[in-house]
Amino acid sequence: MDLSQYAELFLAESREHLSACNQLLLEWERTPTNPAPVGGLFRAVHTVKGMAATMGYARVTDLAHRTENLLDLLRRGARPATEELLQLLFRARDALEQAVELSAVGREDEIDVAATVADLDGAAAELGGGRAAAPATPAAAVEAPTLTAGRLVQVTLRAEAPIKGGRALLVLKKAQTLGSVHSVTPSQAAFETEDFDGRFSFRVEGSAATNEIERVVQSAGDVEHVSVGGEERRASAAGVPGATAPSSATEAKGRHIRVDLRRLDGLMDLIGELVTARGRLNEIAAQARDPAIDDIAIQISRLSTELQDEIIQARMTPVWQVFDRFPRLVRDLARELGKQVAFRVEGKEIELDRAILDELGDPLLHLLRNAVDHGIESPAERRRKGKSPEGEIVLTAVRERASVAISVTDDGGGIDRARILKIAKREGLVDPHAETLSDDQLLRVLARPGFSTAEAVTSVSGRGVGIDVVLTRIRSLGGSVDIRTEEGKRTTFVLRLPVTLAIVRALIAGVGRERYALPLTYVSETVELGVQPTTMVEGREAIVLGERVVPLVHLRRLLGVAGDPPARCPIIVLELGERRSGIVVDGMLGQQEIVVKGFDAPQGTLPVFSGATIMGDGLPALILDAGGLL
Amino acid sequence: MSHTVLVCDDAIFMRTMISDILGQAGFEIVGEAETGSQAVEKYRELKPDLVTMDIVMPDMGGIDAVRAIVKHDPDAKILMCSAMGQQALVVEAIQAGAKDFVVKPFQPSRVLEAVQRVLG
Repeated sequence: MDLSQYAELFLAESREHLSACNQLLLEWERTPTNPAPVGGLFRAVHTVKGMAATMGYARVTDLAHRTENLLDLLRRGARPATEELLQLLFRARDALEQAVELSAVGREDEIDVAATVADLDGAAAELGGGRAAAPATPAAAVEAPTLTAGRLVQVTLRAEAPIKGGRALLVLKKAQTLGSVHSVTPSQAAFETEDFDGRFSFRVEGSAATNEIERVVQSAGDVEHVSVGGEERRASAAGVPGATAPSSATEAKGRHIRVDLRRLDGLMDLIGELVTARGRLNEIAAQARDPAIDDIAIQISRLSTELQDEIIQARMTPVWQVFDRFPRLVRDLARELGKQVAFRVEGKEIELDRAILDELGDPLLHLLRNAVDHGIESPAERRRKGKSPEGEIVLTAVRERASVAISVTDDGGGIDRARILKIAKREGLVDPHAETLSDDQLLRVLARPGFSTAEAVTSVSGRGVGIDVVLTRIRSLGGSVDIRTEEGKRTTFVLRLPVTLAIVRALIAGVGRERYALPLTYVSETVELGVQPTTMVEGREAIVLGERVVPLVHLRRLLGVAGDPPARCPIIVLELGERRSGIVVDGMLGQQEIVVKGFDAPQGTLPVFSGATIMGDGLPALILDAGGLL
Repeated sequence: MSHTVLVCDDAIFMRTMISDILGQAGFEIVGEAETGSQAVEKYRELKPDLVTMDIVMPDMGGIDAVRAIVKHDPDAKILMCSAMGQQALVVEAIQAGAKDFVVKPFQPSRVLEAVQRVLG
């Protein structure tokens, strides 16, 4: 039976519900007498159970059923949360998550939930509900399908169908005209509740052919999908007598669909190629000076820009999809480390390109761990300092002009600059006579691979995997990291990320016979060498802009281009946090949108390129990495 | 020959609406009932091809009316009219012998679909 095409959907939806469970459990922990979270938990677990049963994941179904049973007793009894109950439910949720993940990749055998199941049943028995009866699922059928008589029929009702339980019962009645019906999952009692989500299965005996069973099931109405035995067919509107009129059907359908991310990536690649072709068309139009070609070039430009915007928009994902797992994590960490932490998330709805968001989980996790472990002091120490014993960590997302800033702030002890300075001097990272460290220098010291200030290696952090990992990951996404710290008061890490990766606006510069692209995100201004006087600072050529000394990098020399530069060269001033650098190039060739393509740099390539792009004339150009040049 | 329909609902508004929807689709409304017991009585008298039955009605509820009608005529084609949230009652009505159901607020297309399913 091929249910594999639904496995991804099952996984995605289950994850959403389990993530919601975490939030609900945390909410219940905060307000132990509030019955609302328990109802939400019950529904979420119930939904996961229904999906797992349809997928034939017997162990997930069983675990979910027992969890649901306990939740149902708690719900009905309006019991307040206790420490033991919360711990058990957190554990059950985690076990469920693991079971879901393993099942979805075909490793159901590895699931071991015996201990959790026993504890769930024990707790349920104490509440007077007795041991959960084995779920009325086709669990037996799933484990030994060959031993069960009849063909397994799995039905999904249309999402918009009202009173799905009634519809399901009609399906069963229709099916009974074919032969005996049994092994109905979920049980018919579930049809009478509002929680029934329209997915159910049953076995039907008799000699009816597959298409006959399908026809009969669909004749009950509102059937979205039916699979019999191993064959699956989508209910086509035309196949159902008196099918819903198209107008009302479209009105009632949900306004969201799920799209495989790979499909969006494919679209993005195509748009990239279109943008490249558009550049070429514009060049030809400029040469041809034909009003007809101009017109069409302008039209194509406009349309492709709109198309590009739409697709980028479709890739945008709110940050809560990654942030939602953090409250639970911070809570668990704080408990483990004996800290008291109030965790707040702001700007959950801010959106980022899915590809960037997916990469952010680990760096943020790292910063949050650091904040709990090294930032927030122990309650005793905080009291000594006259602070509230409960520390605060805030995770914030803010949309800036062309980027999103995500910050992690803790109101802990701040970073001990004197200590970092001492270490930095010892390791020769700063001038031995330096008296202070700027925030920027501080970051550079902290970001040395393997640097750790932890005196004791806790299980949480301080294993020597430090800020360098965060910095590397964020830079690879075209972003930057800043740190601000006030001793005794707070530390903030700010990650700035481009909203999308795929298409950026860049300055095109010429050096020798090659062209290079510099993303505008980091360009602060351009000046001219020869007009602007140069000076030597600490043995490096530099210019003075306003009050600041900007060291120069001659791209021609850096890249080893032969020949002499022109008499007057533009200098592109890059700015990243507090650092600046002036890149001397031969000439400026204008601004344009470029499509970023990753590239595998051959060994020995200078670490100043972040990717490549194809220019309007079809020739490639390398993209300079601001981080690498600074 | 067009199909005959008996419309049972305690609200005039609902009876009018159902009659309009079905009338415009070419059905012949042969009778209306305001209570469950009236519905049973008129069914015997009129032998309609189809009955639309509200669940909650005074005197005798819709579900009891379904039981009584089906007892009299096991082939009776009864379409339940329910409100959102009446899961348990709808399930009970189907177990009692109703052939299909529609949910208020009515969309004409859905009512007609259901009627066509019932009349097969």
